[in-house]
Amino acid sequence: MAMLVPSQILPQTGETRRLLLKWVIAFLVPVLVFTLVWSGEAILNAALLAIFFPGSFSIAAIAAGLFMLLFYGIITGLTGYLVAADSGRQSLLDLWISMFFFTVVPILLIYITANLFVGLAASVVVWAFYYYGRRLVRRFRPPAPLPPLPSLKVLDAEMRATLLTRARLGSFWFALSFSLIWLLVDLLFYFTGQYGQASLVFLVWILLRSVLLPVAGWLLGSLGGLVAIRHAVPANGNGSNGDRAGAPVSTRRLRLLSATRAREEARDLVPNDLPLRSTGARNFYLLLLLALLVFYPMIDPFLFGPGTDSRLDNYGNAGYYVILALGLNIVVGFAGLLDLGYVAFFVIGAYTWAMVGSPQLTVLTGIHINPDIWPWLFWPMLIVAALIAALWGVLLGAPTLRLRGDYLAIVTLGFGEIIPIVVQNLDKYTNGTNGLTGIYSPAFFGVHWNVSTSEPYYYLILVLIAIVLLANLRLRDSRIGRAWIAMREDEIAAAASGINLTRTKLLAFAAGAFFSGIAGAYYAAKLSTVTSGNFSFSDSVIYLAMVVLGGLGSIPGVVVGALAVYAVNVLVLPQLDALGNDPSSIIYPIYTHILQVIPNFSFSNIRNLIFGIILVVLMIFRPEGLIPSTRRRHELHHTEAEGVEITSLDTPPGAPGFESEMRVE
Amino acid sequence: MTAEHEQAPQSTRQPLLELKKVTKHFGGLAAVQDVDLAIYPQEIVSIIGPNGAGKTTVFNLITGIYLATSGEIIFEGQPLKKASPHQVVQRGLARTFQNIRLFNNMTVLENVLVGEHLRLKASILDAVFRPPWVKQEEEEARRRAIELLSFFGQHLVDRQDEYVINLSYADRRRVEIARALASEPKLLLLDEPTAGMNEAETMEAVHYIRRLRDELHLTILLIEHKLMVTMGISDRIAVLDYGRKIAEGLPDEIRRDERVITAYLGKAATADRQTWQVALRPQPEGEANNHHE
Ligand SMILES: Nc1ncnc2c1ncn2[C@@H]1O[C@H](COP(=O)(O)OP(=O)(O)O)[C@@H](O)[C@H]1O
Ligand SMILES: [Mg+2]
Repeated sequence: MAMLVPSQILPQTGETRRLLLKWVIAFLVPVLVFTLVWSGEAILNAALLAIFFPGSFSIAAIAAGLFMLLFYGIITGLTGYLVAADSGRQSLLDLWISMFFFTVVPILLIYITANLFVGLAASVVVWAFYYYGRRLVRRFRPPAPLPPLPSLKVLDAEMRATLLTRARLGSFWFALSFSLIWLLVDLLFYFTGQYGQASLVFLVWILLRSVLLPVAGWLLGSLGGLVAIRHAVPANGNGSNGDRAGAPVSTRRLRLLSATRAREEARDLVPNDLPLRSTGARNFYLLLLLALLVFYPMIDPFLFGPGTDSRLDNYGNAGYYVILALGLNIVVGFAGLLDLGYVAFFVIGAYTWAMVGSPQLTVLTGIHINPDIWPWLFWPMLIVAALIAALWGVLLGAPTLRLRGDYLAIVTLGFGEIIPIVVQNLDKYTNGTNGLTGIYSPAFFGVHWNVSTSEPYYYLILVLIAIVLLANLRLRDSRIGRAWIAMREDEIAAAASGINLTRTKLLAFAAGAFFSGIAGAYYAAKLSTVTSGNFSFSDSVIYLAMVVLGGLGSIPGVVVGALAVYAVNVLVLPQLDALGNDPSSIIYPIYTHILQVIPNFSFSNIRNLIFGIILVVLMIFRPEGLIPSTRRRHELHHTEAEGVEITSLDTPPGAPGFESEMRVE
Repeated sequence: MTAEHEQAPQSTRQPLLELKKVTKHFGGLAAVQDVDLAIYPQEIVSIIGPNGAGKTTVFNLITGIYLATSGEIIFEGQPLKKASPHQVVQRGLARTFQNIRLFNNMTVLENVLVGEHLRLKASILDAVFRPPWVKQEEEEARRRAIELLSFFGQHLVDRQDEYVINLSYADRRRVEIARALASEPKLLLLDEPTAGMNEAETMEAVHYIRRLRDELHLTILLIEHKLMVTMGISDRIAVLDYGRKIAEGLPDEIRRDERVITAYLGKAATADRQTWQVALRPQPEGEANNHHE
């Protein structure tokens, strides 16, 4: 046994050695920075304390420790996968530099600023410079263009075995180096006495950890290897009939795809030129993200110190923007209907719960409300609010059916203005400008839930987002989603393919409004007050900015767009103002200087200007959005493509007078 | 005349599609005037005529894209009264366009799947909850789409994930036909299906149009300029000129018809076959398009 192990854990070929070096270092640096500089180790220690010292028992700390185990496990597995999935064409240095900028830099910046969003915003600035610099370098030393599918090959059983071995080696060496460095640092700390009176438990833990990590690495490597194999072209994988969804594409079909398309599809394959972007790696990211989101409230205090409650509160607010963006994306991104009055449905959703779930109901109907039971009504009312919003989506959509483009935008803009005003003037029911107060929080088993508890809202919005996200993904890939996109592409061809334009447009309005209604009901319950003055046209514009910024029609894009816009709007700008007024900050001198020139200056005051600039810059450099849908990226890069002109139609085909609208050939 | 003999047995059957005095005015312009036409099941009928004769307008009237000024269009004995385009598809008519209208930013497979829209049942709720039958329906739809593509050979099947804009002109025409077929039509309307194709591609198109009838038992109404195509595959030909039907009959009759020759060549023309064939061919597609755009 003792003789067997070393021969197994030593990389056999030079290529494998190079890959190991490449990925182990790429991940070791950020993981060490996170563990030792920031809070990785602190969290684990707190968890140990909580377990072994009854005095400091805390479920939250244990959960946080559990997350750390998951974190290290996922990263270790990922390293193994990457070693196996890498075609080895990207140079070591390239990878290390980009890993540095995309992991170490944000970790350090978030740590230094002690604020997730400010840290990320600062990282974005650094990334912009990084991209710019890389472009300059590439201009002088252009990299050799990669052929679209250089390393596409069918893997036989032997090569699969090699993949598995490589993955094991990758995870193992990553875990081993990590555990050794960690051990060294900890021992150093211990012997220099910086641990204070570290107990025996810690020493045992440190030693145990150092042994267990490499073993775990070996096992997790098998997992990474299995994921890699799943994405390899199977030996008999050239049958192109009856391909299962998710199965690797046949080599022949890939070869026939155009260069851009082949590159996209090849992401699904192993070996891969850019394994970090491959589908296999994405599974690891999703797992990590999921774990992070679920455990977040527990680890937040370790990451950012006191103030968890207000931060969770902020995330709870950011969440409903995500839902709004996803809903609006159906209308604007999929169906191509420019809606500038989306706030209307949000108002309707909010007032639905506000009127049913508050003492206002007693005022209106005389029904006596039992405040212990009534909050339970939130759950059915969430659906009802969404349905009412959807109904209004249809009602407001119907008159606009014959409009497109600018005209549609103007009419929807009108609705967006009218609805809040109508709500305000129905003061008999809605309490007018005073708004409604005392709206109930939802109720749930074993949860102490009121306005000032932000954790339940955090989890509620997480679940809601998950549901809405799933619904959106399914809609996109369904008969209905295809009809929306087809209609956006060419209404006449869509109609001639059997798509009922009226119905399909109304469905888009209804679906978009439905999700907006969910967001509205959540908003009312979370804030416990709604006032009609809080909703305005500028909200609709913000929602639209989220969708456009993230990437029209791209579901991951609009999620990121919503978070980015929310962060800039609500978190970064006020934070900048706070920093500017703080004499000890670096921007204080600049800030005071600006104040001398422009009295009353604050970043929050020029919010719209900042958004305008961001949008303009983005539209110039990346018109497809931050994370574009492949479709849309494609479209914007084929603007010269010929074909029939597809102008906006104001009259549906088949209606009287359609021919004066457009000549169909 | 032979034509009477030929058509006698047909008149006892019910036409699949019948146009009765169909007229369309664009403002002052009578683009289509009192056109009568009957197409019988499993026939291939061509409409020919000079550019601007009103052929495409006839297609737009049949498929509900334009509203007829007067006249009646009857499909399977029932009038297609003011049916909107998707209702027309539902009745069993599908078409292609002279200037290909594919969804350029969708893949080949997705384009055909859109054509299956009416065949699929999943409502918006089914799409969200995706019960097993919907999953099955989607899989079945994909399988069928691939089957339709394979009608044109393996080579479109291999390109199923390609965006249509990256396909050759001829392939795009094929995908458009596949999309039309996806709605399971009884009558297929093809607007200049060989426009822009070279000689070899045209020959292949002739071949698969015939197969559409023989293998899929479709009835086909065809607008076509190329004599090689029309004369070769049509059971009957109708000739339009200035919106009026000036002749109808068997290919051989049309070739000899005085009025047709006049319409194409003017009075001075001889019935010289050589000139004829050249004349029946339209100007190259590119020019024709530039003219309109
Ligand atoms: N939407 C429209 N508005 C005005 N005139 C039209 C329209 N569509 C077609 N036309 C005119 O009708 C006539 C017939 O056109 P069309 O049916 O496209 O001819 P073709 O036989 O070449 O297909 C032409 O003179 C054309 O200019
Ligand atoms: Mg035409």
